[in-house]
Amino acid sequence: MKHNKITHGVIYIILCTVGILFLFPFLWMILGSFKTSVEIFDLSVLIPKVWRWENFIEAFLYQPFARQYLNSIYIALFVSFGTLSVGALAGYAFARMNFPGRSILFIFILSGLMIPVEAAIIPNFFLMSRLNLINTHIPLIIIPIFGARGAIGTFIMRQHFLSLPKEFEESARLDGLGRFGMFVRIMLPLATPAISSVVILSSFYSWNNFLEPLVYINDIKLFTLPLALNNFTTSYGLPMWNVQLAATTLSVVPILILFIAAQQLVTQSMTMSGVKG
Amino acid sequence: MGTQMSNLDRQDRLLGYIFISPQVIGYLIFVLYPLIAIMVFSLQDYNLLSGVREWIGFENYQTMFSENSLFLKTLKNSLVFTAGLVPLNVILALFLANLLTKPIKGVTAFRVLVFAPVITSAVAWAIVWKFMLDGENGIINQLLALVNITGPNWLRSPTWAMVSIIVVRVLKNVGLNVVLFTAALMSVPPQFAESASIDGANSRQVFFRITLPQIMPSVMMVLIVTLIGSLKVFDHIMVLTAGGPGNSTMVLVYYIYYQAFQFSEPGSASGGAVVLFLVALFLTLLQWNFRKRMSYQET
Amino acid sequence: MRILKGLLICVFLFSAVFFTFANGSQESSGETAENEPVKLRFTVWSGNPDHLATLNGIADSYREDHPNVEIAFDTIPFSEYVTKLTLQLSGSNPPDGGWLLETSAPTFIDSGVLAEVGSHIKSIEEYDYADFSDPAMELWKQGDGLYGIPFSTSPFVMFYNEDLFRQAGVPTPPEAIENGNWTWENFAESARAIKEETGKYAFQTFNGAGYDARLFHTIVPILRAYGVDMWNEEGELQLSTPEADEALSLYHAMIFDDKTVEPPGTQADFFIGDAATTISQISRVPKLSDADFEWDIAPLPAGPAGRPWVIGQAAFAVFRASKHPEVAKDFLAHLTNKENVAKLAQFFPPARVSVIESKAFVEANPGLTSDQMEIVQQGIKNGTVLPSHVNFPKISMEARGAFDSLWQADADVKATLKDINKQLKPLVETD
Repeated sequence: MKHNKITHGVIYIILCTVGILFLFPFLWMILGSFKTSVEIFDLSVLIPKVWRWENFIEAFLYQPFARQYLNSIYIALFVSFGTLSVGALAGYAFARMNFPGRSILFIFILSGLMIPVEAAIIPNFFLMSRLNLINTHIPLIIIPIFGARGAIGTFIMRQHFLSLPKEFEESARLDGLGRFGMFVRIMLPLATPAISSVVILSSFYSWNNFLEPLVYINDIKLFTLPLALNNFTTSYGLPMWNVQLAATTLSVVPILILFIAAQQLVTQSMTMSGVKG
Repeated sequence: MGTQMSNLDRQDRLLGYIFISPQVIGYLIFVLYPLIAIMVFSLQDYNLLSGVREWIGFENYQTMFSENSLFLKTLKNSLVFTAGLVPLNVILALFLANLLTKPIKGVTAFRVLVFAPVITSAVAWAIVWKFMLDGENGIINQLLALVNITGPNWLRSPTWAMVSIIVVRVLKNVGLNVVLFTAALMSVPPQFAESASIDGANSRQVFFRITLPQIMPSVMMVLIVTLIGSLKVFDHIMVLTAGGPGNSTMVLVYYIYYQAFQFSEPGSASGGAVVLFLVALFLTLLQWNFRKRMSYQET
Repeated sequence: MRILKGLLICVFLFSAVFFTFANGSQESSGETAENEPVKLRFTVWSGNPDHLATLNGIADSYREDHPNVEIAFDTIPFSEYVTKLTLQLSGSNPPDGGWLLETSAPTFIDSGVLAEVGSHIKSIEEYDYADFSDPAMELWKQGDGLYGIPFSTSPFVMFYNEDLFRQAGVPTPPEAIENGNWTWENFAESARAIKEETGKYAFQTFNGAGYDARLFHTIVPILRAYGVDMWNEEGELQLSTPEADEALSLYHAMIFDDKTVEPPGTQADFFIGDAATTISQISRVPKLSDADFEWDIAPLPAGPAGRPWVIGQAAFAVFRASKHPEVAKDFLAHLTNKENVAKLAQFFPPARVSVIESKAFVEANPGLTSDQMEIVQQGIKNGTVLPSHVNFPKISMEARGAFDSLWQADADVKATLKDINKQLKPLVETD
């Protein structure tokens, strides 16, 4: 293909126009977090006259935003650690250990991926209600780990373990390690790419989860970020638009920064999930 | 050697079950039980307030599929949503991926930009768009006003609300498909395209006649995965329109949530959940079928 | 294969176990030993700090005589109060009691989730049950039992911003009443002037939620002024009547043609001076304590059918699922005794006749003048409650979506009302 300047130019123009469509919401959001509520909707004021850092402070005052942020963080940590543990154990067993019913059970687990979490929410809610776990964080942790989404961890780990040569385990056995020792000392360290994928995928899932917190959490102190962001609308009183945007910025920008830093890893993990379903 | 192997095998029998037990037990409780439960609930009339549950057979389904029912409207909306989103998403992704394979400077920056919405939370993305699409003061309408067009009240008009949601969601998720297509395009050997262009084909012909057929398996995969994903839309609906106006954006998952948690009808909500499950099941089986075929092709 | 069979058996056992336990709310025996520490939880929909302070004060006074009882008031936002309460009652940690709206009284009473409180309170000597006005108690009785005690029988009144009316040069509601001109039609005209002269909306829907959670609260005053209600005494929906058409056409024109009412999605808060009027109840008066404009209250505008008086009623109820129903009932009695009713009366016009008619009542409310309290008294005397229905929670949810098609600028009001009528009919006209 001849790459002359004209083609380049046209492509640039197209990419820039499209790029604006993607860039604009972020820019608008960030700029808006510094404006007054009135300025947000004023087209002539693209850059705020006064940079109102107060908006960010107000975000923390309106509701226990710091606590909600921390809630999202620690829940995501638990979910990713839990998914990893459960998935690594199960994945290794399905990959390397021989026990009756192994393939059937694996298909069983895999079929869990077919069931949308959203379909299961009603019975899970009643179950949690019976167990008096409504309005706690426990459903938000154990359901992603053990439920339909958790199977992805098992799947990815198994794929990875299958691809590793058996020599490692054979030599480990000669060194006298039992299965568990093999698993912990040899196989896990060799599985870093898969581990990072599982961690990234499950943390993203937990961080962005909206339906489950919406259904399980009533107490504002226990909200996670998506619920908190959605809660910045007052029914009446002074409009909180700028504060809502400030809070949204606070929750989006750190993730963006993390993403840009670890681009490769992130895109790799997400595409893996996309392809595997 | 022999005894060592069988020792390990014996160990494995027990250990294997132990290793998989967390996953399997969790599956039983949080996946299998709910599955059976929604089927059971859908055959009952469950009055949340009085706690009375009566077996009513297929009555819930009869109401759901009766004329003018909310559920039929939901199905129609879901269909419209998917039919609007999937082609738009896939075509846009193909287009962008193709552009981004050209060796131009700053490609990585664009790639990052296109992928950025994918990793932001749907709620955050929807909140920002909610402001931008505001009928009176939103920036979209203000920009349109500059060229003398009066934009509609995007999120409150029964016709435009669905369109808005589709566009917002496409912009959010297209990045993922762009990456998938980029990978597919990169794996296409360049000789065919080159020889075609030497033979005088222009770039459009090359793309449609040469490149596209070669990445067809990926395209089909992406189509199905996007389709399945479109079934699960909830966050955008909740934040942007809450199913309105007039239930014109009520889609499957939102229907389940609304019926169970706002209308207090877990029975008919479960009926919706069963339908969602069946549709997802069908599409996922299709997807797996395709994947098998793809891997045959690769070998 | 054996494994598969084994698994399937496990699954069935599992399901059996879960389903036997997954039956609705169970009743507790309700026996509480004396001096056993008890924690009660009451749900309310007000987040207003003044309201909560008073309620907590009453809880403290109960504690003086019953030191083992701790009472907490939980706020659930109004727009989701009934649904969230329903969910809580179906769970394993239900509240012990809470507020209930008149509109869903039949729903809750019929479903059997309310504990009968009449026998307990009538057994208390100083309670003076006869003090409660009969019409107020109507809704909460079923057969011989009493299932709720109204704490608020609060008429809807029109709050207005005197400054904005003066600025627009139009007569204020009291002046209009004197001239016999306080009707919706005249109000619509004044509204146009107000919008033009001051740029502010002339009318804010009830609590600013007139297009969703407070739909009924907003349109019932207008409907009644024109002679109809949402449904009549026989339970027939009245939305496709010519009266409803006339009433809502006027209202629709105000929103979309005159633009004097805040449209869906817009905020225009009367209580901070952004709208000239709103329909509300006196429990909102504390929000005006910092107001920098002159305000007052007036009766609702009249229509061809006369002047409507609409009452919103709320009651305290005890839930059968409570783990300590007897203690809860006792606290209920304390909440609604003469002394405490007088305390709550500053926000919530009481159902106790002795309190309504006392001078103390008229003077109790620091935020209202005695003239204003007289309007309230008038409302209580002449008014009728909002329509209630055994299916109300579902009707109100469905109505929000159904009415969306009415709140479009180009809606054909008559045809749309017909459609809405059709849509709501199966829920309203059940037998």
